[in-house]
Amino acid sequence: MGVAAAATLDYDAELMLRVKEGDGTSFGVLLEKHRASVIHFVYRLVQEQAVAEELAQEVFLRVYRSRSSYAPTAKFKTWLFRIATHLALNWLRDERHARGQERLDDGPADLPARQISDRRPSVEQEMVREVKREEIRRAVAALPEKQRAAVLMHKYEEMEYTQIAKVLGCSDSAVKSLLFRAYETLRARLAHMEAT
Amino acid sequence: MNCPMEDRRPAILVAYAAGELDRETASALERHLADCAACRPVAAGQAAVWKALDAWEAPSVSPDFDRRLYRRIDEGARLSWWERLTRPFRSMPLRQALPLTAVAGLLLMASLLLHRTGPTAPVASQHEVVGANQVESTLDDLDLLRQLSTADSAESGHPDAM
Repeated sequence: MGVAAAATLDYDAELMLRVKEGDGTSFGVLLEKHRASVIHFVYRLVQEQAVAEELAQEVFLRVYRSRSSYAPTAKFKTWLFRIATHLALNWLRDERHARGQERLDDGPADLPARQISDRRPSVEQEMVREVKREEIRRAVAALPEKQRAAVLMHKYEEMEYTQIAKVLGCSDSAVKSLLFRAYETLRARLAHMEAT
Repeated sequence: MNCPMEDRRPAILVAYAAGELDRETASALERHLADCAACRPVAAGQAAVWKALDAWEAPSVSPDFDRRLYRRIDEGARLSWWERLTRPFRSMPLRQALPLTAVAGLLLMASLLLHRTGPTAPVASQHEVVGANQVESTLDDLDLLRQLSTADSAESGHPDAM
């Protein structure tokens, strides 16, 4: 498929076809566009910043290395997140085998860096936020891996069921089932935050 | 009161919290929520989950992320064939890499053995076949000569032919 034909699919796929033809600048554009979303998605899956960045590096390396065999059969983002999900879930499985679930019960050892803004919250406000963030983190971490991935793609990447299904390699109805079960679990754990 | 949305409740309330419903459907749902005691807490819970997840910020990306990535790309371009071959195994945990390495080693050894013994075996058997043919042919020739010799003797009245 040529560049013109890919344009009907999506602009990112067109950029990737340019990368295939040797255009390094297009790879830079794709990296700039998707860097943060891939890292944040992987971070929320594995919940370790250093690991998330390492895995995200591997995602973009694989994209670059497979440029010569790239064929735009799906949306670029679907392909990208398929690689990212595959690597992150593999890492989680290895980690679970290696250490069991003890990591999830650890303290907030690798919490995100605090955002510095002009309107700095008080220490008390920051502590409340920290406790809340930790509770959310644990609630998401307690979900089964595929449910977790589905929720993160649905919530933060605003992906449609069909796209999530392609990333996870399952049917649309299976994705709906994953999502509804995940949200049901999260409602049970987080609904009390409504008042806060 | 039975809720007419009972079967579709999760799908519609998740879509509503995500802002995926069109305005008309959302308005109809809001009217329904005002009356339905079964859907209202689920909608409120889903809204709370949505808000909580919004509050979960991911950390900012390291400033040297791209530099590290491009360095790895450059390093990859300079790799030797052996490094390219072994690269997939390097990031693998030991318990995965060991069996794979063992299998790869066995396959390599088997391949070498087959390569070494493969061409020589048919040659050896060919020699054996040729040898047997030669022996058989020689025996036939000898038999023929003996018959000829017997016939000559009979014709010449040689005593051996009697």
